[in-house]
Amino acid sequence: MSKRIIIFGVVLSVVLLAGLLAYSMFGCAVKIDKYSDIDRPARIYPDYSSTVIPPNIAPLNFMVQEKGSYYQARIYSDKGEAVEVSSRSPMLSIPIGPWHELLSKNRGGRLNFDVFVRTDSHNWVRYRSITNKIADEDIDGYLVYRRMHPPFHYPIRGPIGIFQRDLRSFDEKLVLDNHHQKAGCINCHTFCGNRPEKMLLGVRSPDYGMITLLVEGTTVQKVDSKFGYSTWHPSGRLAAFSIDKLPMFFHTAGSNVSDTVDVDSSLAYFVVDSKTVKTTPEISKKERLESWPMWSADGRYLYFCSAPMLWKEQTAIPPEGYNKVKYDLVRISYDIETDKWGKAETIISAADTGRSIAMPRTSPDGRWLTFCMSDYGFLPTWQESSDLYIVDLKAAQEIGRYEYRRLNNNSDKSESWQSWSSNSRWLAFSSKREHGGFTRSYLSYVDANGEAYKALIVPQKDSSFYTHNLEGFNTPEFTTGLILTNNRQLEKVIRSPVQPGGKTPETTAAPKVKESPKQEYLREVQ
Amino acid sequence: MRLLHRLSGWAAGTTALSLLFFLLYYLYLWMAVDLRLIYHGAGIISNFPVFYLGWDFFLGFLSYPGGLIDYVSAFLSQFFCIGWAGALIATAQAWLLWLYTGAILKLVNGWRPRWVCVLLPVFLAVLYTQCAYQFATAMVLLTAFGFVCLYVKTSLKSKPVSFLVFMVLSLVVYAIAGNGYLLFAGLCAIYELLVRRQWSMSVIFLVTAPILLYTEDILIFEASIVEALTRFSPFYMEAGSGMMMVIYILYLSLPVAVLGLWLLGLIGISPSGRFSRSVTGKVSRVIGLTLPFVVAVVAVSFSYNSNLKTMLEIDYYGSLSMWPEVLQAANRHPGHKFISKTVNRAMYHTGHLADDMFFYPQGVEGLFMDRRVGFAAFWELSDVFLDLGQINLAEYASFLCIETYGERPIILRRLALINMVKGNIGAARVCLGALSRTMFDASWARSRLEEIESDPDLSTDKEVQYLRSVMVEKDRTALSIEPKMLMDLLDKNRQNRMAFEYLMGFYLLRGQFDLFLGNLGRLDDFYPVRVPRAYEEAILFYNYINRTRIELNGREISQESRERFNGFMNTFLEKYQSNKNEAYKELARNYGDSYLFYCIYKQSGMKN
Repeated sequence: MSKRIIIFGVVLSVVLLAGLLAYSMFGCAVKIDKYSDIDRPARIYPDYSSTVIPPNIAPLNFMVQEKGSYYQARIYSDKGEAVEVSSRSPMLSIPIGPWHELLSKNRGGRLNFDVFVRTDSHNWVRYRSITNKIADEDIDGYLVYRRMHPPFHYPIRGPIGIFQRDLRSFDEKLVLDNHHQKAGCINCHTFCGNRPEKMLLGVRSPDYGMITLLVEGTTVQKVDSKFGYSTWHPSGRLAAFSIDKLPMFFHTAGSNVSDTVDVDSSLAYFVVDSKTVKTTPEISKKERLESWPMWSADGRYLYFCSAPMLWKEQTAIPPEGYNKVKYDLVRISYDIETDKWGKAETIISAADTGRSIAMPRTSPDGRWLTFCMSDYGFLPTWQESSDLYIVDLKAAQEIGRYEYRRLNNNSDKSESWQSWSSNSRWLAFSSKREHGGFTRSYLSYVDANGEAYKALIVPQKDSSFYTHNLEGFNTPEFTTGLILTNNRQLEKVIRSPVQPGGKTPETTAAPKVKESPKQEYLREVQ
Repeated sequence: MRLLHRLSGWAAGTTALSLLFFLLYYLYLWMAVDLRLIYHGAGIISNFPVFYLGWDFFLGFLSYPGGLIDYVSAFLSQFFCIGWAGALIATAQAWLLWLYTGAILKLVNGWRPRWVCVLLPVFLAVLYTQCAYQFATAMVLLTAFGFVCLYVKTSLKSKPVSFLVFMVLSLVVYAIAGNGYLLFAGLCAIYELLVRRQWSMSVIFLVTAPILLYTEDILIFEASIVEALTRFSPFYMEAGSGMMMVIYILYLSLPVAVLGLWLLGLIGISPSGRFSRSVTGKVSRVIGLTLPFVVAVVAVSFSYNSNLKTMLEIDYYGSLSMWPEVLQAANRHPGHKFISKTVNRAMYHTGHLADDMFFYPQGVEGLFMDRRVGFAAFWELSDVFLDLGQINLAEYASFLCIETYGERPIILRRLALINMVKGNIGAARVCLGALSRTMFDASWARSRLEEIESDPDLSTDKEVQYLRSVMVEKDRTALSIEPKMLMDLLDKNRQNRMAFEYLMGFYLLRGQFDLFLGNLGRLDDFYPVRVPRAYEEAILFYNYINRTRIELNGREISQESRERFNGFMNTFLEKYQSNKNEAYKELARNYGDSYLFYCIYKQSGMKN
């Protein structure tokens, strides 16, 4: 009998304690009858204010950065029930169900956050409403990105993982990590038209060499070739990619320590059915650096970046004049039925811009082309001067020239790795605007006129997440669904023997003699 | 009654001896080993775990077998940074291992020889003595032993029930302790075989264990086959070959002891056997009681590595800017490249570098970076770079340390400071945010965060302001500190004494007299009246070789240096007729701390 009483007592105490803890942490909404107004919005983190938010985004949990002993937020719009959350902690967590209901009922409308804070003197104050616009158009359901510590050396020694985040909730799924590859690097995931069924993924491993994983639905194949930056033809029948030599080097002064130089590069393309790799002289000129390929939405043109090579093949790292290299934006026509390439034509010249173009991305509707432009060089991630620019391709066709303009969502820090949503209304990109080397992924609405709105950081369940996370979230890519493979399957394929085909063509950037995985890897990382 | 009294007296005596053993054990870990050094790691211990407060951090440990033990170990290990508390936890762990070992031996063999029971605690002490971090391994053993005792207590005579109990406990042990399950399954099988004489159960346990675990791995932890298989081996842990041997000994010591004692029992060597009755007596009892102490003393004496400990001490004191303690510890050490960077920093900070740099062993890589030393060198180099004003290089080295050693608080502190100096307040906030979730650096981080809030430019922070005043502005794309990079520092701030002394030190070590003399004019900025001793010796040597006299802008070479120089030359040239080999002993004894000796023999620090 006494034993039962003890057990009952212990269970009751635990339940009571848990209840008290939950109440103190989350609490119920408090009825606030009397409050005074403060004529400014409350400071909240992350800054979810005066922007356009996707109607299907996960709750924008935030932290109130005002002193107080109790916090409450009332989130409301024209239609539907307001969502009220309150907490003793300044971190407010919005319930996902009511949040989605409120947003879906108010597409195109305004979303207001009224923030109440109980001050130390037990009086409530209400800050001026924070208002955001809810977009009409959904954002793609998923964002695939790479998480890692800021890369300060090569080969990478620390953990790297490619994850797929459900943007409608906080679920995050591991796609592939380097847990079982010694100092291995995984990089550059590319999808065909935002569809998760077709994916390319690069692996650089001392044990398994430089390989590319070709994912088609639930099937994964290993291609014995290192694809640099790749882009799927909209048909899904081929993918263009760069073959690069990209050593890292370091700066002893300035805000960025790391830098990368494109010592030599050219373009090639991989034909999926025949598993063959081809190239053509127009995209693999010996005297030029050619990288960052991107297909037009209709697949008739390949856009890429090109710059003259200012050094000889064998050069010191970094080569002299590395900071004078500026890339043009070039396009070349292609007919997939006949496999015929046209002549490369420069559409935006570095001589005109005075700057260097990288990472061109076309919107799936074919209307827009965005790119990064920085003071010099190949990789805008390392360039504080890198901003996002946009070109209206429809207007360019009409007026016969490519006019570009800087997007409104830039900051004074580096912006890069942009990706368009499948409906061409959302841009995801990497930015160092808030946390320097700890790159974060941002989302930005782009309206029908190509105007970009204030970017919002990808929301996290824990609103303080970005204030302490030491990883970079880079290379964000939208997908419309879940990737159909997983870490286990991908690892198995990485370890498996190489499939025949897919040999890299002999270009100046490609190795001449077949090497062992380790030799290949060491050559790459040195 | 008398017998009972004698027995209770005997038991009290052995308990007192056990208490004494663990009291000495505690004092040894606290005072002699000093677990703070293991917590610090000095760039030598790379597997010390990171621990953050918070639910999210905890949840990450639930995704793989053994995660819970890793979490608990990471938490408890943080107390190593408080010497006495860490020693208390480590002693408690050792005591529990001793207790469980005794219990299992008693259950299986019917007796518990004290010297066998202390083997595991002694092995652990050996590991701590060698400054190795294997706290999690000991926790795995503890869990496995605890569950073996639980199995023995809960299993019934009915075979199906025993099997069911074994299955349930297996799932739990594997989830909690990962590969410690092997030990659990093995000991349960031994128990069934030796005590309950159920060889069939024993075989069933051994056969079903892998199947059960594979299923758990695949279904619950969603692991791959390779992962599932590798988890069966202690090799799954990342450790060197020497350390792997010790880990295997730890894992196997109890099963081997159990089987060994059983075999001894078979031939009659046990407390109840004839052999023991004939031998036991006062003498054997005394031997039995004192043997654990002897084993412990012998083991730790043989494993004690004073060099390693000194290296850890030097780096630890250096991290706390306890410069006199660094030099004191260095005086006990024969010299090692790895610590010379910290020793040089200590000499600089105490104002002795320009005078006494040859008092300690020097090599060019001692002052500057040498990639041959490997990634571990960056642990020290990040501080050297930071002190000099090469802030980007310090950032680079710190991130390499993060990759190599994890998000350790000491590295995060450094990175926070670097970003504050560079004005990257956002990045500094992230480092401080991470630190504010640690157990013992949180208050420091919060105070720095408040400082940033109140003064985002950090205009009142003396350390930040000083580092900004020396931060190099000229960009170079090289990794190593070269003389021209030190010149860049002096171009930025000609008052950067550390850059000056490192530059002059570099020229002296390389024997580049022209460059050394070319920068003597800078003495006006740092030594307006006198010439530092090492420089005096270099000047005297140069004057002698070139039959010249260097003008020192009104400064005079001290009488003491002249006498030392004359003494050195007389000994070398006249007494030993320039015979380097024969002169070595005497010159090392009398002038081993001089630049003159370094010039002849390329060695220094020989007078210590």
